[in-house]
Amino acid sequence: MTFPSAESSPSSTAAAKRCSAGQPGTAVPTWFVGATRLLLATFREIFDESAYWRFLKRHEMSSCPSAYAAFLREQEGIKARRPKCC
Amino acid sequence: MTKSIRILLWFSVAILGALALGTIALHRGEQINAMWLVIAALCAYALGYRFYSKFISAKVLALDAQRATPAERLDDGRDFVPTNKWVVFGHHFAAIAGPGPLVGPVLAAQFGYLPGTLWILIGAVLGGCVQDFVILLFSVRRDGKSLTEMAREEIGIVGGFVAYAAVISIIVILLGAAALIVVNALKASPWGVFTIAMTIPIALLMGLYLRRLRPGKVLEVSALGFVLVMLAIWGGQWVSQSSAIAPWFTLTASTLAVVIIVYGFAASALPVWLLLAPRDYLSTFVKLGTIGLLAVGIIALRPTLHMPPLTRFIDGSGPIFAGSIFPFAFITIACGAISGFHSLISSGTTPKLIRREPETRMVGYGAMMAESMVAIMATIAACVLQPGIYFAINSPAGVVGRAPDAAAATISGWGFPVTAAGMNALAQAVGEQTLFNRTGGAPAFAVGMAHIFSSSLGGQAVMAIWYHFAIMFEALFILTVLDAGTRVGRFMVQDALSHIWKPLGRTSWYSSILATSALIVAAWGSFLWQGVKDPLGGINSLWPLFGISNQLLATVALCVATTIIVKMGKAGYSLVTLVPLGWLVAVTFTASWEKMFNSNPRIGFLAHARQLASSAAPSHEISRLIFNDRLDAAVTGVLVCMVALVLLESVFLWVSVLSGRMQARIKEAPFVASRFAAEEQG
Repeated sequence: MTFPSAESSPSSTAAAKRCSAGQPGTAVPTWFVGATRLLLATFREIFDESAYWRFLKRHEMSSCPSAYAAFLREQEGIKARRPKCC
Repeated sequence: MTKSIRILLWFSVAILGALALGTIALHRGEQINAMWLVIAALCAYALGYRFYSKFISAKVLALDAQRATPAERLDDGRDFVPTNKWVVFGHHFAAIAGPGPLVGPVLAAQFGYLPGTLWILIGAVLGGCVQDFVILLFSVRRDGKSLTEMAREEIGIVGGFVAYAAVISIIVILLGAAALIVVNALKASPWGVFTIAMTIPIALLMGLYLRRLRPGKVLEVSALGFVLVMLAIWGGQWVSQSSAIAPWFTLTASTLAVVIIVYGFAASALPVWLLLAPRDYLSTFVKLGTIGLLAVGIIALRPTLHMPPLTRFIDGSGPIFAGSIFPFAFITIACGAISGFHSLISSGTTPKLIRREPETRMVGYGAMMAESMVAIMATIAACVLQPGIYFAINSPAGVVGRAPDAAAATISGWGFPVTAAGMNALAQAVGEQTLFNRTGGAPAFAVGMAHIFSSSLGGQAVMAIWYHFAIMFEALFILTVLDAGTRVGRFMVQDALSHIWKPLGRTSWYSSILATSALIVAAWGSFLWQGVKDPLGGINSLWPLFGISNQLLATVALCVATTIIVKMGKAGYSLVTLVPLGWLVAVTFTASWEKMFNSNPRIGFLAHARQLASSAAPSHEISRLIFNDRLDAAVTGVLVCMVALVLLESVFLWVSVLSGRMQARIKEAPFVASRFAAEEQG
């Protein structure tokens, strides 16, 4: 599985620039590709996908139900203590 | 871009902003377009960000790009993670934006659109954004410490204790007020109750899907959950029209309150992954989408505001909540202008993600501007309604009467024409039995939002769908706050009790979990029950109480910020936090005094208790109402006294430091050169 990390966003944006610059006739503007990647990275951070990816990397695991269960156990204390604003 | 072009550009922004503000403030007797509010807001935010936040960054805080942040120094891939600034911005915005910026401005619209709009813009640019920004930066410089820890270290033991007590109080009062909004939005609404009830199995399904089928695919499951919620909204229409099933979901306010209290207890005690986390994902997904949709709708449709700039209720006789513009408009709108609760987020997860110090400006100041814009959109949604409709929805039965004809006659008598037949037709159009006396702000916002969208997207035929989409969105939002807030409160109580007896602090011990969950739920449940039984609708007493406690927390946060600035040897620049602090002290202390001691029974808790005691025959019900009034007065009094202590301790410290009697020692983490800065330069 390939979860892009949040901190990798600038480099992935740069990669997107190189990619679209190297494809003549591409209809999608480079800025749009970059913005979409950044938006997706933001969503992945908000929705804890990046946190899960970092967890897998830290523990050198691959994604599976038991890995996700371990991630959830770790998150239990963190997420439950996080206030949501009014 | 040359300097002269830049100057010309910013001068144009200033002129445009002044023109828009002039149009908003000076038009009398004719309707204006909502775009003037949007333009005024965008110009104010642009100028505030470009000039004021830059001034604070450079002169007051001296942001240092060479200094490593805790995310870099303590990077553990779990709590501390250096993250792209736009990602942190989105994360921070998603955490600070809740139901507050939607509900407060809708309630404050009883004064007209002008007071709320001006307070949102001025309050955010000079107060709320500054608070969020400086607290974030100070937390970054202290290894991501929380507000309560910073208060204890920088002000003293009293500051730390009061901050802690204020956080618990605000959580309890907030949860009571928020739950009341859901009750008022869903009572006698089988469509709404069915839709919200369905979000529970949907969230459970999402939790199981994530755990068993597609681990970690949260975006995917959130999109799937969203589709299921949309199906539930569509199915709700069928349920509401079924004479066999509709009665199951047609609940009274009291029944709904009991259901929500039981739900809150269950959600607090269940594992996070099963209900809290998936509901949080679903709520965030819907929230971000709906805010975006509303922004597009307002800009694309440019609706006209039917509410006048100022109504007759600026004198304090408002039907939704009693009290004059000062101080009540300023505590009714907290989130959107300045909210103490934000200081908890700014000193919570966010400082642990900041990659470079200068990025605190965009995240702290910038995200609050975005939330302020949400509050402007809520003001627009309320003010596009005909004022008669707005007051018919938001006025409690205790003020306008329970019978539709009587309520319509009372509201028309105020100069805002409305008819019972017209309200009945509107209720049918949105799929409700009635829209009279739907206090709390959420139904009015939903009608306004449905009104904006149905102007182009699907027309009147789908107005009911839009209305219930908005109700679902707000209720989902609020129930997520209930889930998370009850849990956070539970952890705080467990932490506190662990000082008395260690095992009570164990988060794995089920007896402790159940006992502390019951304690927190009982606390906010009693406020909810009080609101449900209040003949004036509950919002009249609960929302000001919530506003006062939220702004008192902001007062504590600004005391902490001012103390640190003074200790940094920059007392001359401390006006950036002292001015909003002074304003909040004036607002909160006046509001607290009025809520406790005003002789008008609609404003003063104690006057209301006296009125009940003297005018009604003694009964269990009356005794309880009197007790509630006295409890509210006592809570307000205790909160304001505690914050006064923090203020006194802070002022004493400032005077001691400035007079040289005390050596200023700030508790920052030592300077470490940033690797990121070196990499960028090298």
